[in-house]
Amino acid sequence: MKSNLSWSSLFNPFTRIAGWQAFFPGLVGILAMSIIGSYSGIVFDGVIDVHFSNVDVLTALQYMGFSMLALILVFWLVALLLSKGFRLIDLLGTLTLSKAPYLLLAIAGFFAEAPDAQMIISNPGILLESTAFLVVTAITIPITIWSVALMYHAFSISCDLKGSRATVAFIVALIMAEALSKVFIHYFV
Amino acid sequence: MLPTQCPSCQEQLNVTCLKCAHCGTEVHGVYDLPLLARLTEADQQFVLRFVKSSGSLKEMATQMKLSYPTVRNLLNEIIQKINDDEK
Repeated sequence: MKSNLSWSSLFNPFTRIAGWQAFFPGLVGILAMSIIGSYSGIVFDGVIDVHFSNVDVLTALQYMGFSMLALILVFWLVALLLSKGFRLIDLLGTLTLSKAPYLLLAIAGFFAEAPDAQMIISNPGILLESTAFLVVTAITIPITIWSVALMYHAFSISCDLKGSRATVAFIVALIMAEALSKVFIHYFV
Repeated sequence: MLPTQCPSCQEQLNVTCLKCAHCGTEVHGVYDLPLLARLTEADQQFVLRFVKSSGSLKEMATQMKLSYPTVRNLLNEIIQKINDDEK
């Protein structure tokens, strides 16, 4: 029973925390991952994007800021269209906390370095020689799935949407938010 | 807890007999259960909490150790059940 509770809390903590309670730890998380990522060579340049790249702290924070702006803006608009009643702070808080798993990737960046792009082009086999790079790349997938699952529950609980309606709306909103974050980053960073 | 569903076919039960505890008089007939009595025990507990907390979902969320939107969603589900029952 206790382990079930822990697992459900890991993928859906929003039955217990939302609003400002979720926003403050989420804010600390996204600031920490941006700052740590700028030192470990990991950049979060999109709603669900993670890349090996060296950027300064200010740029990393701008990437995160515009990604979050796109995420909140799109989901808020979708919620206005579909939800009968919701609080913006619940959507803001829960979606912000949904990004928390990426903090693990920011830390993992200290243990791996991406091979130089020119070297990869001339010798793609070099990727297979960099075990740490492959491991970090591999753990990106489950961590992204974890974060997306959190985002879904954040959206579903904050807006009281369930079933196929919620799933379709979430997928469309996530794709739109990802595209919008790229537009913001392209024009403003 | 008052049983509200038939244990055999799960249909809604009706009241067919009421008895005065004082004089023993019995009233027979077919009466619908009140709307709130048709809710599940958990839903009735929720409605009681809602009334006791003067309708404050924030206070209920604190008492129930749940988030505000979760409590609001539970209330929405009960409202939906009542609306469906009224139709």
